[in-house]
Amino acid sequence: MTNTQVPDSQVPNSQGPNSQGPPVSSRPATPSAAAVRPSARDRGTRLLAALFLAPTVVGIVVFTVVPIIGSVVLSLFHWNVIDPPRFAGGANYRTTFTDSTVLVSFRNTLLFMVLAVTLQLLIALTLALALNGRMPVWLRSVFRSAFFFPLVLSAASISVVMKYLFNQDFGVVNWLIGLVGVAPVPWLTSEHAAMATVILVYVWQQFGFSFLLFIGGLNNIPKEIHEAAALDGATGLRKHLGITLPLLSPTLLVASVVGIINALQVFEQPYVLTDGGPGDATRTVVMVIYERAFEQLDFGEASAVGVLLFALIMAVTAVQFRLSRRFVHYQ
Amino acid sequence: MTDSHLPRRTLLRYGAYGAGAAALAGTAASWDRLTGADIPGRDDGSLVVATLGSAFDPATVDALTKGFHRLHPDIPLRVNAVQAVDWSDFFAKILTQIAAGTAPDLVYVATEGVQLFARRLGVSLDRWVRRDAAELREYFADVHPSLVESMMYEGNLYQLPMEFNAADMYLNKQVLKRAGAGFPAADWSRDDFTALLREMKRTGGSHFTPYFWTNRLWGGVVPWLFANGTNLLKESKAPGGSWLWDTFYPAADRRGRGGGFRWTTPQAATDRVEEAYDYLASLVQDDLCTRPEGGNGSNLVGVFSTGRVGVTPAGGFWAGGLQQAGVRADGYDVQYFPRWRTQRHQFGAAGYALLRTSKKQEAAWEFIKYAARKDTMTRLFRTNQTTPARRSMLNAARYATSGPAHWRVFYDTLDRFPDTGPIPAPPQVAEVTDVLLKYTGTALASPRAVGPALRRMQGALEQAMEREV
Repeated sequence: MTNTQVPDSQVPNSQGPNSQGPPVSSRPATPSAAAVRPSARDRGTRLLAALFLAPTVVGIVVFTVVPIIGSVVLSLFHWNVIDPPRFAGGANYRTTFTDSTVLVSFRNTLLFMVLAVTLQLLIALTLALALNGRMPVWLRSVFRSAFFFPLVLSAASISVVMKYLFNQDFGVVNWLIGLVGVAPVPWLTSEHAAMATVILVYVWQQFGFSFLLFIGGLNNIPKEIHEAAALDGATGLRKHLGITLPLLSPTLLVASVVGIINALQVFEQPYVLTDGGPGDATRTVVMVIYERAFEQLDFGEASAVGVLLFALIMAVTAVQFRLSRRFVHYQ
Repeated sequence: MTDSHLPRRTLLRYGAYGAGAAALAGTAASWDRLTGADIPGRDDGSLVVATLGSAFDPATVDALTKGFHRLHPDIPLRVNAVQAVDWSDFFAKILTQIAAGTAPDLVYVATEGVQLFARRLGVSLDRWVRRDAAELREYFADVHPSLVESMMYEGNLYQLPMEFNAADMYLNKQVLKRAGAGFPAADWSRDDFTALLREMKRTGGSHFTPYFWTNRLWGGVVPWLFANGTNLLKESKAPGGSWLWDTFYPAADRRGRGGGFRWTTPQAATDRVEEAYDYLASLVQDDLCTRPEGGNGSNLVGVFSTGRVGVTPAGGFWAGGLQQAGVRADGYDVQYFPRWRTQRHQFGAAGYALLRTSKKQEAAWEFIKYAARKDTMTRLFRTNQTTPARRSMLNAARYATSGPAHWRVFYDTLDRFPDTGPIPAPPQVAEVTDVLLKYTGTALASPRAVGPALRRMQGALEQAMEREV
């Protein structure tokens, strides 16, 4: 690579007019080859970095990129595992777009994502703010462990237990509310209640992750800023809205991105709790992928649905990052 | 390039990195580690038999393997117990093995998969059955022709039935006593059944559910459809099969038999199907039975044994299940499914299917014959975890400890009601099952939901049946 001479007028001035840094004009107008070419030490560092990164990159390529490409290819074929694949062109996508079950599953998944992630973030943020206040350290640790505990358990195991608890006829939850005279609720068997129950179980298990992120984010906010705001007369709510939330916005972005990606891929909870029912009320996209592939042996259509879900996740994530330019503030 | 030479120190450092990496790679390569080849029997030429993991316990599998080895020391055998939640999960895992190129030679397949395997993967047993007819006469004489017919597809036999379960009614005797009700007669009607549930509910308290059922192909809505003289799909018989019936069964037993069942046109929107759903909907509305999604077989033993459930449909397998759960033999009993327009029962059966990918088909057939022997089946089904396909195995001694008192019901469901038939399981069974479960939930969701849900079920079933499997 040759060194291109950059005129002074084209050197971007990233510093403001009141900057204390060295003036742009102090930079060498024609950088020497030694200044541009990395030193041997830099090259060694880069090589070492590449060595450390290599296993991860290989892992991502082998276990993520290749399967994604494989799914895209497979979505263009009819394949039932037993017979050789037959080229189908766009037939699997056409079927997908006209299949009411698939369309309902996308609607359910989006509804689930909106409600579950909102609830998850609200609960996590509220609890993180509450625990970040004055509280004995040991009690804070107990709460942190308790909130995080469900996350380390298997979603399937939790769902099996929850299925017993929320059973309309024999469940503990209906027994408990029956003690105060409330009629049994069809938690998992009513079209309206089932989705709410699935969301409840999911949020209960997942909010610990966002909670930990928020705790970390809150700890990173310098106390001096709050103290300065207090001196200026800011109240608790005003401090949260004007200082805590803006400074927590990068964490909020990470929590919401991860939360949305997870929610769009929800499977275990609705699968175990309701098997997608009643009817299709809680059927999610990943459930449809599983059913098409492993129950109906239609791997082509399953891949087509998978590719659409992938595109949806990418689109939603891109929108989030785009919007984040407006509300995320970095110190 | 102005600086093409590496400093000596850097060169030495890279040399050390390289030596370290080479040493690590060498160590890793020479390390004793487990690979796929270390799995006992893998790629060693063994005859591989895949069974549903929970069907046989390890001791039984061990006995099976050793017994076969004594008989055929030249045929190495490996039993691959595949852990799965249910038959559809099991099939999915088997198909994954096939896709991965590690197909077993034999697979234990239930009614749900008989036609799928026969159509796509199975080898007909006809030639071997004909060849070894003399050896098999005793087996067929002991096995009801309905079970054999359920293992046929388009005139050919694909499996020898090893076990079956018909949907009979288990009754909790503690609950019967509490309700002041007597044990129902064998020909009890649907109305007798409803009246019994009402009596049970009246004396059972608010946390008691008289009738517990699970939303599935076997034992869910289908027994009620059978009792009402209908089916989810139009049922007929394939031609052929006389080669088997004429060889092994007397004239009375082979009358009306064909080359296996055909399930074709969906008939979910017909009056009789709607009538059966209306009946179940009325039971749900009157709090006499669980909602379909509420019923879950995994906690059934617990709620039944503690008197929170009065009646439930189950097969002979539940005798073993209740005994394992500590329920006394005199704590429950079993009766036929109630009569409606008919008293036709439903059943599901299972046996070993030989895969066409197998390169050891002769050896596999030897295993099928060995597994169907009475002494082998006696070892396999020690704990009443199912109803053996051999009539002679159902005797008082078998049920002396586990019960129930009316154990004869299990096989008499076939002998006394010869029209008793298999659950509707065409090659598209997975989709049919999904549709059935989904729309049964919708149909029973609210009082006036039955008609619209069944019409949608009809459309979905038609779509499912049109799919090429």
